[in-house]
Amino acid sequence: MKHNNKGELVLGLAFLAFALFVLLIWVPLDTDTGLIEKVRRRWVIGDALAPSVAAVLIALGGGLVTINALLGRGEPMPLGWSSLRFAGLSFGLLFVAFLLMRWIGPLAVTLAGEAESYRNLRDTLPWKYLGFLSGGFVLIFVSIVAVERRLTVRAFLVAVLAPLIIALVYDLPFDDLLLPPNGDL
Amino acid sequence: MGFWEHLWLGVLTVFTVGPAFEIFGIPISITLLMIVAGFCIGIIVGATPGLAGPMAMAIALPILISIFGVKQDALLPVLGFLIGIMKGATIGGAVPAILFNTPGTPDALLTTFDGYPMAKRGKARKALKAAHFASASGDTFSDLVLFTSAPFLAIMVERFLDLPEKTGLIILSLSFIAAVVGRSAAKGLISAGLGLLVAYIGKGEDFYPRLSLGQEALADGFPVVTAVLGVLILGEVFKGLEDLLRSGPQARDLSQAEASADNRFGWADVRACWPYIRSSALIGTAIGALPGIGSTLAATLGYASGRRSHARKNPEQARFGSGRIEGVAATEAANSAVSGANLIPVLSLGIPGNAAAVFLILAMDSIGGFNPGPSVFKLSGGVTGEGVNPELVVVFGIFTAMMVANALNWSLGGLFMRSVGVMARIPKHLLLPVILLLTLTAIYVQLTSMAGVYFAIGFGFLGYFMRRIDMSVLPFVIAFILGRNLEDTARQAFAATGGDALFLLHSPIALVFILVSVAVVAMAFWRSEAAAPPESHHEPKTGK
Amino acid sequence: MQKLAKFAGTALLAVGLSAAGLGTAQAQWQPSGPIKLIIAFAAGGGADTIARATAEEIEKRKGWSILPEQVTGKGGLNAAVALAKEPADGTAIAMIVTETLGYNRVAAGNPVALEDFTALTTVAGFQMGIVAKAEKGWTSFAEVIEAAKGGQAIRFGTMSPKLSDLAYLLGEANAVAFNTVQVRGGKAVMNGVQAGDMDLGFMAGIQAKGVASGDLVNLASAMSVPLAQSPDAATMSAYGVDFNADGYFAFVAPAGLSDDARTALSEAIIEVVSDPSTKAGGIIAKAFAGAKTISGAEFDTLLSSASNGAQGLLSAASE
Repeated sequence: MKHNNKGELVLGLAFLAFALFVLLIWVPLDTDTGLIEKVRRRWVIGDALAPSVAAVLIALGGGLVTINALLGRGEPMPLGWSSLRFAGLSFGLLFVAFLLMRWIGPLAVTLAGEAESYRNLRDTLPWKYLGFLSGGFVLIFVSIVAVERRLTVRAFLVAVLAPLIIALVYDLPFDDLLLPPNGDL
Repeated sequence: MGFWEHLWLGVLTVFTVGPAFEIFGIPISITLLMIVAGFCIGIIVGATPGLAGPMAMAIALPILISIFGVKQDALLPVLGFLIGIMKGATIGGAVPAILFNTPGTPDALLTTFDGYPMAKRGKARKALKAAHFASASGDTFSDLVLFTSAPFLAIMVERFLDLPEKTGLIILSLSFIAAVVGRSAAKGLISAGLGLLVAYIGKGEDFYPRLSLGQEALADGFPVVTAVLGVLILGEVFKGLEDLLRSGPQARDLSQAEASADNRFGWADVRACWPYIRSSALIGTAIGALPGIGSTLAATLGYASGRRSHARKNPEQARFGSGRIEGVAATEAANSAVSGANLIPVLSLGIPGNAAAVFLILAMDSIGGFNPGPSVFKLSGGVTGEGVNPELVVVFGIFTAMMVANALNWSLGGLFMRSVGVMARIPKHLLLPVILLLTLTAIYVQLTSMAGVYFAIGFGFLGYFMRRIDMSVLPFVIAFILGRNLEDTARQAFAATGGDALFLLHSPIALVFILVSVAVVAMAFWRSEAAAPPESHHEPKTGK
Repeated sequence: MQKLAKFAGTALLAVGLSAAGLGTAQAQWQPSGPIKLIIAFAAGGGADTIARATAEEIEKRKGWSILPEQVTGKGGLNAAVALAKEPADGTAIAMIVTETLGYNRVAAGNPVALEDFTALTTVAGFQMGIVAKAEKGWTSFAEVIEAAKGGQAIRFGTMSPKLSDLAYLLGEANAVAFNTVQVRGGKAVMNGVQAGDMDLGFMAGIQAKGVASGDLVNLASAMSVPLAQSPDAATMSAYGVDFNADGYFAFVAPAGLSDDARTALSEAIIEVVSDPSTKAGGIIAKAFAGAKTISGAEFDTLLSSASNGAQGLLSAASE
């Protein structure tokens, strides 16, 4: 059974190349001890050995995938440009959502002209929820609208209520839990 | 202190430690409460297409750890809850499969073959009762096998395996998982290799955190939850969202046929189903005990074997697939029998075999004080006075929790299960974004660092791409979890043998492990790439 | 409930404080916000439990809010590096071992300096012994040396590079060579010794109950003084090694902490850990033979002499 296996071939070669990069460049440059080394007059396993073994495994797998593709076996790869586009778009959405989550609180504190810093207000209402609710809203609302391809009240309600419920579930009963981004300050 | 005292202490811890409240003067312990809660949530989650046991366990774990903290007495309530989810989800998955032809969990796919035709004939209740009976039987049987075999396996390991052999055993488990889980052994190897590589970033013996690119956030490597939840849960969410983006919101046929008169599941039905339950339970247990092969394959094999023997013994009856109650029973007994047996390698070797086991190990790891492996089965711990081994007490506590969950399953499970059909009505495209936020929040609450959330998102995309190129994520996750253990054991074996570079080949047992590892991978490669069987997608049970 | 209680506590405290403020000129130091407690130990272990229990008790007694956070790895250096970046206003402290700022810091090539920190107080000293299973039949370290000289390969379990150095020097001084097996954490040494993967190993207090029940034997003290539990076990100097594994669990803050804050924080910690009726104090009393609270200038001296000792040990072991 022959397929058009160009995708598999690219995949196999890509992993092979990645494994070689790890083995020949990343590991030697970014570990301080070798494969094995002499410490206190005894040979011990160094920090480079385990990652090298991992790289060899990846190379082995990549090599086998390549061989398969060359022999015309295996299945055509479903990964295409549309997947990359989806990944790019969702990454963008997450980026915006978390940008809001991280900075809305401090921004609001500054705009409100509070004397205290956000760091000292991070455990008080309403400041501590601002970032989480706005970031959560954007994330959920945009996702649902993207699937439904129209604006609905239901999407709006879910996007408002779900983050609020999550926030309350964590924050009300538990004293020590911090919602994002309040532990980073 | 002897065996029975440990057992008794374990039972007592579950029932008496930390009374949450009293009913008629009888204190109800927090562990008990958590088992019940986990079990109910498990059924609900299992009955919701798009959610599955491991996903709920993943989201619950950071929350539980935040609630209970990382104290010793947190271990049993947390594990009890997770075990409850694990068991509940198994029977819950059958509900939408039977009612709406939509499997709630992947391993319930074959339940639709006979369950849905029965429902169309108005026998939905009967099919649900059969599924419940078979599921509870398979589960209980599997647990009993666990209770009896795990301690012996552990004792054998302790007696016969020194450091080099232990290294060989971990290598064998990893190669087995890499080779058998996915459709392609070659991609399984890549997946395992990536898992190991990621596990080795930042960790290491030297004071310079290796492979960290000088980044301080990576000084202690990637936190376990970010990699595991990212690849396993977020990856699945991303894939689900993309599928929905392409197809638009899904409309399901949620109409139910009118109930027929005969919806009893009586003795005659039990007798008819029993031989299939028996053989499926054996198949499921055997498969569950092997690392890497999940409940979906167990269900497939249980169903196939049931179909064969049914056609042979009853040639005059309608075949499986046309709405036979035996078909429902054969599938459900097999996929439920996996859950107990998959704890055999967890408890006796510290090696997780499937996604559910990964979260149990993760719980033990995050809370600390319990290091699954042969040492937990020792009768004298030496750590505490009076010769009590607290880890063995925990083991018996876990066993007790499993039996409590089974008792719940037998008594209330069926009733509760028949009331959660409504969950199938929740649209998946509303559910997935909320799960995304909930998972990321759970990770944040445990790590209190945005860096952790960003890592998890990165791993989410990794998991997404792995799914898109048809590479199983389970070898990645298990290799990530075992990676450090593998390196540590190898280092110790090397040092303990005085720097013998060939320590893996000088011990006959270790040599056998290594040879078998190579053989397993070679055979899997030969088989899978040569034939590429159509129905062997044994993905972990994470959604869809 | 807890929240309400804490709120009430804070309110009461505030009232009490303003009342006290009227009377005395010097007000008691108060943190400006929640205190971040960086814990350098794995979650769920003995040290982590002590840190968290101490924090809880301080919250209860002082009405402060303390948020514990795990930063593990690299012998506590990851935690030290993280702490050094925090503001020095008493809203960030860390629990580490003195070895972190001593041997580990020096061995790692000084990623942080001693001057980056304000020492608060130690809380407990290691009861570091060289321990074997009783069924091995050894009663002192001298018998281990005999066995090694008789040709037996001896596996010596350690849990840090410093202890590996000491194991090496012990062999060197007695003309034998041990197979040093370095693992992560005291619990791993304990498991290795129990499972027979190691013949003996360093244990810092975890062995107390096993020794009491007769399962384990303290063959020698790895400290400058004998072990509280086995006073007859000789110290390492009897075996020709003049270094020791003295060390403490300790709290530190970033450099530049005001004296008020330093005193208030130290006193709050000391009050809790020296009280055996608290959870933290109870654990310390059991496993570490009671609290050892060295604070202030005395703690500064201890840290600088630990650093100097580390230099000596490092060069001795690399000869």
